[in-house]
Amino acid sequence: MSTLVQRRLTSRDLNELIDGAPNDVAEVSDEHRVSLTSRFRAVPSSEHRRLDAWMVEQSGRSPGPFVWSPATARRLLGNNALRRWSHTSDSLLNAVRDEVVDQLLRASKGYARAGSLGHWLAGVSHPVLGLITAEAVNWATQSLECVTGVRAPWRMAASDVYYDVAGARTTLRGRRDVIVESPEGRVIVRIRSGQPGKSAGPGLRSDLVVETLAHPSGLAPRRYLGLWPDAGLILGVDGTMENVRAGARDFLRAAVAQRRLTLTRAA
Amino acid sequence: MLSEPAPELVTEVLRGDRARRPRRDDATAAGLRALLEDHVFSVFGARRDESTVVISSATLNASGSVQELSHSPLSRARGILVSTAFRLLVAQVHVTDPFEDSLSAWRGEHPHDDLLDSLAHLDDDQRARLCADVASHFATLKRAMGTIPSSWRPRTSQRARQSFGGGTVYLRDVVDLVVGTTHLDVANVALVDITTSPLGPGSERTMRYHALMQTLRSSVVPLRTSIFSSATGELWTLDVDHEVLIRAVEDVTRVLDRWESS
Repeated sequence: MSTLVQRRLTSRDLNELIDGAPNDVAEVSDEHRVSLTSRFRAVPSSEHRRLDAWMVEQSGRSPGPFVWSPATARRLLGNNALRRWSHTSDSLLNAVRDEVVDQLLRASKGYARAGSLGHWLAGVSHPVLGLITAEAVNWATQSLECVTGVRAPWRMAASDVYYDVAGARTTLRGRRDVIVESPEGRVIVRIRSGQPGKSAGPGLRSDLVVETLAHPSGLAPRRYLGLWPDAGLILGVDGTMENVRAGARDFLRAAVAQRRLTLTRAA
Repeated sequence: MLSEPAPELVTEVLRGDRARRPRRDDATAAGLRALLEDHVFSVFGARRDESTVVISSATLNASGSVQELSHSPLSRARGILVSTAFRLLVAQVHVTDPFEDSLSAWRGEHPHDDLLDSLAHLDDDQRARLCADVASHFATLKRAMGTIPSSWRPRTSQRARQSFGGGTVYLRDVVDLVVGTTHLDVANVALVDITTSPLGPGSERTMRYHALMQTLRSSVVPLRTSIFSSATGELWTLDVDHEVLIRAVEDVTRVLDRWESS
């Protein structure tokens, strides 16, 4: 049975969830990957589809066109700033500023492609840049508050995780913010704003399955934790085969729902 | 403790006497949650209504005349502009023109906000008045706040959301400024609400509500909660203790009782 653990967002509870994560985790084999590919291929798509936890939570509904804003830029800038801060021990505000400057430099040198964060930042006014800085500092500070009490060694994830389902024109995306590593295995932490809804569990399982598929040996993390600082809650799913399977089924359901929506719209 | 009007920098008041800070309290939050859950159950029982009750600091002060005045679009726009200018101030951004810079930042954040449209329809006199108003509020804020050190880990517009009774009641809150960390052995977090209205009877309720929501959110009782009026330059500060939090719970339960009787 697929289970979801829930705790208050405190250092003690977070440490308990990390320390108490199961050591016996799922390992995805080549047969599993082939099986997943065949199931996705059974859901045809006229164009390359990208699925993530958000779409699973929204029952396959595609998000509207992506638009950069202070709210959508804060996670990327905040996480990068926090990674930078962990090496320099400068202030978080300066780390965010340095990150923004890096992005602007990239744009001014012509390395930022159209639609990228750097490209967008280069075109916004000075006050909007200030607000983006404020949002990114908020995100970084909040993330740091969440993980400050974690005893095990942790690091900010360098990027989200992607898995291309070969031959099925499908890319799965998993979000991750912090990786807690120990000799027993890894625990992945995802930080989210707002409060968890009824579909938060399937969302976490979706992230879990992408993290597992993208691992070179197909090894699942010991636990996938979702932190909601606004609500002061932690939800978590274990890296068991049941949860990995359930996550894969959620993705397939989202792909089917997306296909139905596309057909309805076309009719 | 309440102090008025602010005789010094707000940062000095927030810091207070470091030697007299109480020990970190991470035990009270569970009791407060239980009190609220019990009251929600006593009001709603086991029934699940289609509609949910949403409570915010504005709901607590809903019957106050000051609150009613601040509901006009122009007042709301002024509030958002001053709040945005304050965020820029805390992020140590150089603000040349408080009105234009805040407007530009607001437009960048919420380009489709209906209130922005109402600003576009202001005549020259109204716009000039609003511009002068925002500049005046910003000058008061800048003078009183000074520079907030980055080492205090300041975060602006911090949101909190708590649900009770299985989602029947939602408590929501946004605090303009939060400084400090919950990871020290002593209470360290200070909350600051910025209002463009003069301080009044509802202000204390707002301060208590922020303290309650921060406690529920982080499970750690904050050190102090403050409210600063950019209209008058007044600052009220309250050290958070058990009594303050219980009174905040009573404020919330009063709203629920009012909702039940209506």
